[in-house]
Amino acid sequence: MKAVALPPFWSLVEAHGDELLVHARRMTGDSNGEDVLQEALLRALRAYPRLRHAEHLRAWLYRVTTTTALDHLRARRREVLTDEPPVPASEPEHYDDAFESLIGELPDGTQAALRLRFVEDLDYDGIAARLGCSAVAARQRVSTAIRTLRTQGIPA
Amino acid sequence: MTLPARLLESIASAAVREGLADAVYTRLDTPIGKLLIVQGERGVVRVGFAEEPVDALLAQVAGLLGPRIVASDRELAATRDAVSAYFEGVDERIDLPVDLSLVRSDFRRSALTLLRDEVGPGHVVTYSALAAKVGHPKAARAIGSACATNPVPIIVPCHRVLPGSGGVGSYGGGPDVKRLLLAHEGALVA
Repeated sequence: MKAVALPPFWSLVEAHGDELLVHARRMTGDSNGEDVLQEALLRALRAYPRLRHAEHLRAWLYRVTTTTALDHLRARRREVLTDEPPVPASEPEHYDDAFESLIGELPDGTQAALRLRFVEDLDYDGIAARLGCSAVAARQRVSTAIRTLRTQGIPA
Repeated sequence: MTLPARLLESIASAAVREGLADAVYTRLDTPIGKLLIVQGERGVVRVGFAEEPVDALLAQVAGLLGPRIVASDRELAATRDAVSAYFEGVDERIDLPVDLSLVRSDFRRSALTLLRDEVGPGHVVTYSALAAKVGHPKAARAIGSACATNPVPIIVPCHRVLPGSGGVGSYGGGPDVKRLLLAHEGALVA
């Protein structure tokens, strides 16, 4: 594998840490945001040297944080609802798969909005342009979906 | 950046504990400005003066040790204490492990190692005398290069190396800083 010149990890934390914390809080509820961000950044550190390129690092960190938050929500649902032992947290290389399996039961339009937001890292204007709706509608679609994942449990 | 310092320290400590950090850095206020100190597994690998761009220094270390670099005052508490003790005059030897991997040649590495081992606080040596100690009496100019590219100034005391012609000569942190460090150690400079 060709070595790529990745920036020192902490420069990413300094540049994006605060917005990632906001994101983690939105996904999980305020009280767990810091724990989720810490776990997400540790996952990111584990995977960091294996990245094949140094592009879209901000979007990548968003994705890692999103997946960590969803894992956290899923684990919490399990604690509440069942005795099922928690599955091991998904490995960093499989973020996309984990993400897809988590949103798989949602309506197609909702899935699309979530992918545009968290996989492609588009803002709401960008999502609106892709989906042919208003930015307000795009934001609503994403936030409704997050609320659904948070409150109704996530399909296993 | 607005992440709480407590959260950043917690993340950095967890990273170090799990063996996920290639290097840790800290910034330390001193009488000669805010120093950057970067430490890897084997010791301090880089010290930067206040005016040197942090990003470039960290990128240099990332190229050598890996990109998983985190900041933590807590993890480097012992290192900070040792450097602070130097500036406070409590202990001027700065007895810390150093990693000279950023030094480009064996000659330079052996010159810097010898300098550190043999020229203690309060003492000075000329470029040509240090060259002679290394066993290359004519290599005063190469000694100058070794000092000019010293990746861990202050800890490896290149400020104690002076031109034979008088004065303090040049220094990465500027001649005034060199003069200040020597005066602090009680070394007399013409």
